[in-house]
Amino acid sequence: MQERTPDRPDHSIGLRKLVLYRDVVVTEAGHPPARPARRASVAAVIANPWLHSGPSADLSEAQARIAPVLAGLLTDRLIAALGPVEEIEAFGKAAVVGTGGEIEHAGALIHTPYFGNLVREFLAGTSIICFADTRAEAGETLTVPLWHKTHAATRSHYQTISARVPDAPRADEIVVIAAASTGPRPHPRIGDRTTDRTVTAASLEATPS
Amino acid sequence: MNVRKIVTVVEEIRTEGGREVATPAKVAVVAAVIANPWAGRGFVEDLAPGIDAHASDLGALLAPAVLEALGAPAEAYGKAAIVGLDGEIEHGSALIHTLKFGDHFRKAADATTLLPAVEKRGPAGVLFDIPLKHITDATIRSHHQSIEVRITDAPHPGEIVVALAAAAQGRPQQRLAPLATEQ
Repeated sequence: MQERTPDRPDHSIGLRKLVLYRDVVVTEAGHPPARPARRASVAAVIANPWLHSGPSADLSEAQARIAPVLAGLLTDRLIAALGPVEEIEAFGKAAVVGTGGEIEHAGALIHTPYFGNLVREFLAGTSIICFADTRAEAGETLTVPLWHKTHAATRSHYQTISARVPDAPRADEIVVIAAASTGPRPHPRIGDRTTDRTVTAASLEATPS
Repeated sequence: MNVRKIVTVVEEIRTEGGREVATPAKVAVVAAVIANPWAGRGFVEDLAPGIDAHASDLGALLAPAVLEALGAPAEAYGKAAIVGLDGEIEHGSALIHTLKFGDHFRKAADATTLLPAVEKRGPAGVLFDIPLKHITDATIRSHHQSIEVRITDAPHPGEIVVALAAAAQGRPQQRLAPLATEQ
């Protein structure tokens, strides 16, 4: 497919590497899922553009320059790994900042319209995108939450996928991650808001279980 | 063969040593998490029936998948068998150290050399490094490399992770003198 971003945006965003992780559950608890889902995370390792800039530095210029490139690059890879965008049902995002940076630097790359709005647009979603972020040494495994891209409260689609880059982030790097799934958990059977009974502390006292 | 999940990892290195890599360096891994065919049976003396039942099917499953994930002709390759805590390393070796397994990859990649391998036993989430060497000449130094893999929930104690790895090139920024220069 036509990529939205230049083939080699490496210089403009300080890109060192990209890591795709994809899994497909064939059987779970000994049985094949009724709707087998393909799930993937794509991680981009980039140089932290705000290193040593201090807590009062304005993050907006680099954020507006870098985050849209990442949104295009990561969603292109997700779509290539999972199939057409119409088949992607759930999404999530994450960032790991190296120990020389602030967690605010990770947030600057994923928690603004320059990333979130574009990921939502490229994956044809409407939901707010759930997330995880942390500051860590290279090789940290991050558990990235996913939920339904148009109906966030759809319980069957609450799931997570791991993302890990063995040699990143270095202290002066940030790992930015987008993740998606083509379906629900393997055997979803915990109901939904539409099937829940009303549960309050008082109602539980009235009906001992 | 009871497969629980298939995991694909693709690494693409764009910059190394602070310099852009001329062509992005790609390495792919595809791993199948399967039930250990010998689990719960005590010490099984003769592994051949299990090898005959599963090794070729695993090779046929993984070889085309890893080449598709790489998206380019393979120049280096390797394999892995990671056995869950209740099994023997011999069980993993049984599945990958047979021509029945490796020939699928050699044929698909036009390769001739033996596949370098890692075999180990560990808990779910264990880290393992798959060694890769050149597909037609294992002495080509530029292509000696490895890729690190971790599957958070595998292998369970009664499972084996069997994986193939393929690289589209040697190491990024490789610049060691060939073996012949030292002979």
